[in-house]
Amino acid sequence: MNSLRQFVLCLAATFFVPWLCLIVIPHVKMAKAVAPETWVNQDLGTSQSFPPGTPNAFRRGQEIYAAEGCASCHTQMIRPTYLGLESWRPGFGKEGTIEAPVRTRETVPGDYAGERFAYLGVQRIGPDLSNAGYRHDAAWHHAHLYEPTSVRGFSTMGSFRHLYIKRKIRGQRSADALELSGEFDPGEGYEVVPSETAKALVSYLMTLKKDSPLPPATTPIDASQDAGEDVKKG
Amino acid sequence: MPEDNPADEDVLHRAAIDRSVRLPVLFFFTSAAAWLAVSVVLGFIQSMKLHSPGFLDFPCLHFLQYGRSNPAFMGALVYGWAIQAGLGVCIWLMARLCRAEIKNPITLIVAGHFWNIGVLLGVLGIFTGHSTSIEWLAFPKAVWPILFVAYSLVVVWLFTLFQRRKPGEVYISVLYILGACLWFPWIYLTANVFIHVLPGSPIAKAATSAWYLGSMTYLVLAPMALASAYYFIPKILGRPIYSSYLSTLGFWGLAIVGGWTGIQKFMGGPLPAWMPAVSGAAVIFAIIPVCAIAVNHHMTLRGQHKLIESSPTMRFTAVGAAAFTFYCVFSALNAFYPLGALTQLSQTTMAFQLLAVYGFFSMCMFGAIYFIVPRLVGCEWVSGRRIRFHFWFSTYGMISLVAVHFLGGLWQSHAYAQFDVPLENAISAGRPYAIGASVAWVFIIASNVMFLYHLSLMVFRLGRKSEQPAMIGHADHTG
Repeated sequence: MNSLRQFVLCLAATFFVPWLCLIVIPHVKMAKAVAPETWVNQDLGTSQSFPPGTPNAFRRGQEIYAAEGCASCHTQMIRPTYLGLESWRPGFGKEGTIEAPVRTRETVPGDYAGERFAYLGVQRIGPDLSNAGYRHDAAWHHAHLYEPTSVRGFSTMGSFRHLYIKRKIRGQRSADALELSGEFDPGEGYEVVPSETAKALVSYLMTLKKDSPLPPATTPIDASQDAGEDVKKG
Repeated sequence: MPEDNPADEDVLHRAAIDRSVRLPVLFFFTSAAAWLAVSVVLGFIQSMKLHSPGFLDFPCLHFLQYGRSNPAFMGALVYGWAIQAGLGVCIWLMARLCRAEIKNPITLIVAGHFWNIGVLLGVLGIFTGHSTSIEWLAFPKAVWPILFVAYSLVVVWLFTLFQRRKPGEVYISVLYILGACLWFPWIYLTANVFIHVLPGSPIAKAATSAWYLGSMTYLVLAPMALASAYYFIPKILGRPIYSSYLSTLGFWGLAIVGGWTGIQKFMGGPLPAWMPAVSGAAVIFAIIPVCAIAVNHHMTLRGQHKLIESSPTMRFTAVGAAAFTFYCVFSALNAFYPLGALTQLSQTTMAFQLLAVYGFFSMCMFGAIYFIVPRLVGCEWVSGRRIRFHFWFSTYGMISLVAVHFLGGLWQSHAYAQFDVPLENAISAGRPYAIGASVAWVFIIASNVMFLYHLSLMVFRLGRKSEQPAMIGHADHTG
């Protein structure tokens, strides 16, 4: 292989195929598949669509999620049960018992529609956050971000105190002020309030509910069962 | 080997080539070493933060939390140390193997400055809260064009040098260098444009980021390290490589499968199922070229394993090459569900990245640096004991770090899979291993402090003066 041109052409050809198949074609195809599908839920009698869309709080919040490196420890990807059973555990905010857990479905591409980047994750130092919005209220998240061990003694998460402002109470105590007790109490006459950044991050966490009902056609097993019943009835 | 003729003329010519590349190669080595220092310190900090978030937890140091120090550490390690050390070695090898004195080293120095500015901006950007949190692409979005242009300058320069080569057979190392030259800009541009510039599906972007990691390892880090191994193993042994057929097979095999790897990381994820499946198959097929390379190196070494003990370059290169085989075999095993389900999304990810960047790539680079630097500065490494210290601490540190993260990841995944116990068990499962990793980091820091001190002695010409550039233990085979 002494000709440079020949070498470069061979190299380009071997790399072009995976580049085209794994990068270009998926990008082109997936970019088209964003139109939401709407259907009528027979049980509720209401119209539903998937992907359901994301609120405005999402964008800014996700930027902070990235900037603070949350994705270094938390995933947003629920695998099918044959790979892992991370979709339910006690205290995950969804009903169910250890004997009869109510599993959240695995995540599908539509769950990430409208995001700038799908932070599927690297490693699970902390729990999966795909459905973090169900688990706690905003006040809990603020207390947890300010001082993780104040609400979970075993937490190994770092404190995000720099997103909060400790200040002297002037007049009335702020409605946003964090409820902190014990060693984390800011002291008499002081309060800890979330900055706009912290509010955006928590609003984002509260929107994380990647379990919207899927349109009937995309759940083939149920669809075939329904069809079978229809045939019997018919 | 294309240059084993020990004629005096050849020796003089080689010395002239070494003199001509001295400035750019030393520039890349010293700046890489400085980034290595930064990255091992950051590596220790991020490792401590993983189990003890209270470590260095002062209001003014809030930016050291794991979410920022971990991407910053990886950025400094991969772009600051690894790529720069790789470029230094590639430039030197290219000049040697093309048997051409270089012209216009200023281009390289300028490119090197731009590269360092880019990495510095990237690391500072992560610390000041502009990280993108994408693995190996966490630098703020504004940084990638600087790095891309800087690297492209070096690529153009290397190609120009290749065109001026003396006629003769092109050695396998040159193919690997040219490969790394072409692949990196292509991979880097693709990843950044598709992730940061073009609008598009978030899932396709996530898949691209996973592909970036795989391709960087198989098509940029591996070729640079293999170029070095293919040069130094026969060079130090003083005998040609065992089979040029196996060399070619290994190269093209890697070229064919390398670009398909990476996405197996998200198997079972919300991607079209064929994407992780294809990547998984690719890392399994990668075993074929990797075996060809390993057999080739091993057969070249046959009967001469004693040299591993006496030659520092050989020793580092052998460990690096072994780590490469190990990395590829384990990646292939991970592509199977039973193991993959446990290693996916756990500390094991860290084990794999460190095995690739530190275990295999850096070890080959250390070996090359121990060979090249004496020839550039005209004096000998001060002490063999310091090199041995660097070697053993690096090797043990790396092995324990990788083992601890690997086992920690398995145990952690196992704990997460037990859904009927409280979350506390799953969170605390990985903690003892993270503590173990911090201990291993102390070894790595110690070894690299020694390396940096030793290297700075050389750069400031405080080494042992010698008539001819001889290496400890293989003086007979120098050139």
